[in-house]
Amino acid sequence: MPGDEQFKQEVLRLAGHELLTCIQCGTCSASCPTARLMNPSIRRLIKLCLEGKKEEATHNETLWLCTSCLLCTSRCPRGIRPKAVVSALKDIAERAGLQGKDAAYEKFFLEQIKDYGRIAELALTAKFLLVFPQGAVQSMQMGLELLPRGKIDLKIEKIKGRDEVKKIIEELWKK
Amino acid sequence: MKLAYYPGCVSKSTGKEMDASTRAVSAALGIELVELPDWNCCGATHVSHELVATGLAARNMAQTNLPIMTACSICYSNLRAAAQRLEEPETLEKVNAVLDRKYSSAYSSAKIRHALDVILEALTEGDERIVVPLKELRVAPYYGCLLTRPQGVYSPQFPTILENLIKRLQAVPVDFRLKTFCCGGPIFMPQEKAADDIAFKILAEAKKAGAEVIVTVCPLCHLMLDAKQKVLEQKMGEKIGIPILYVTQLVGIALGLGPEELGLFMNSVSPMAMMERVYARLSE
Ligand code: SF4
Ligand code: SF4
Repeated sequence: MPGDEQFKQEVLRLAGHELLTCIQCGTCSASCPTARLMNPSIRRLIKLCLEGKKEEATHNETLWLCTSCLLCTSRCPRGIRPKAVVSALKDIAERAGLQGKDAAYEKFFLEQIKDYGRIAELALTAKFLLVFPQGAVQSMQMGLELLPRGKIDLKIEKIKGRDEVKKIIEELWKK
Repeated sequence: MKLAYYPGCVSKSTGKEMDASTRAVSAALGIELVELPDWNCCGATHVSHELVATGLAARNMAQTNLPIMTACSICYSNLRAAAQRLEEPETLEKVNAVLDRKYSSAYSSAKIRHALDVILEALTEGDERIVVPLKELRVAPYYGCLLTRPQGVYSPQFPTILENLIKRLQAVPVDFRLKTFCCGGPIFMPQEKAADDIAFKILAEAKKAGAEVIVTVCPLCHLMLDAKQKVLEQKMGEKIGIPILYVTQLVGIALGLGPEELGLFMNSVSPMAMMERVYARLSE
């Protein structure tokens, strides 16, 4: 099957044309804290993009194992930003309607910023647990640590400029 | 010195002690903080669309002409990355088209300051305000990822600013191999196991290095190493028992500020035994 050229161009537009200079050296993978769990590796993910393999590049666990630590980006000898590639692929996948617990977490996060201007962790967690009940044990453990120390925000603070924030998200998202 | 202050969302929840200690230490060092009037979330690591993330950061930066100080490495990284991107005229134009108050191209990433660097600048060598020198205290300097990335004033792999500050407090920085390694925090909700493994590695390494305390500059690192420490110990079957302090809390102790002011009772792993050792060494 020939590669999806349109997909490749979209990745280049979002993550930078320097991607074309990747030499597949694997420095990014060697730097990555979650490399062990990634399949495809971050190096291979770059290759998949360049080959226009949209399906493989956007449907994998790798995107969601990236912690955004930017070590790959600091180290790449070609000045490529592998983390930006991950972000671009998440974006493309989310636009195409990708569902899943990880995508849902990002969606709820952005929705909260849109609605309140800020993040209220309790409300965010509650929403997330509805789509991923398996996270309940960890949330309980955290709650037991944080609640008695007064570190859970029970009320949601809303900023004044909510309309502006909403506009930022909705307008710039299209660009 | 007068700076705009960006507390970040965690200042209202899991990072309350970060906020409290930042304000207390700043006051003690004569750093005047003016909170940004209507700040919004920076998007943390969860807004994958770069232009949206840039817009969110730009709205914060457009609220002041003063340099902005934050104690959160994630906010710091996001504001800096955004200021760098806003140097491109095309990005600036797109972003300003949706902002009420425009981002000025006169602003720059150099105006974004981490509390760590502001504090180090304010403290002189042998500063008399250090009334509780942290003699012999073995401190693991944990940078995590985002203080030094994207590349700014610090080396992304071999930074030394935390060690410099630790020494200025008369404590001893331990040789800590994983100091710029990620804590796993950004994926801890949806990818619990992966995040736990990474965080535990850091704790175990600090213990091996003989640290009496780990100092952090990021609320997510703090959450992973402090609030989760007990659970991680149970899961991995190894006792760690190392207190995790925000850098502002450590500085505050050296400045003789009280535990209440520094939010020390909010830490999960109590630093009180460590503090007793500090005081005991003082009178030696
Ligand atoms: S480090 Fe850079 S050049 Fe090397 S494989 Fe990764 S993206 Fe390609
Ligand atoms: S930013 Fe993501 S892909 Fe790059 S090294 Fe960190 S976790 Fe791996």
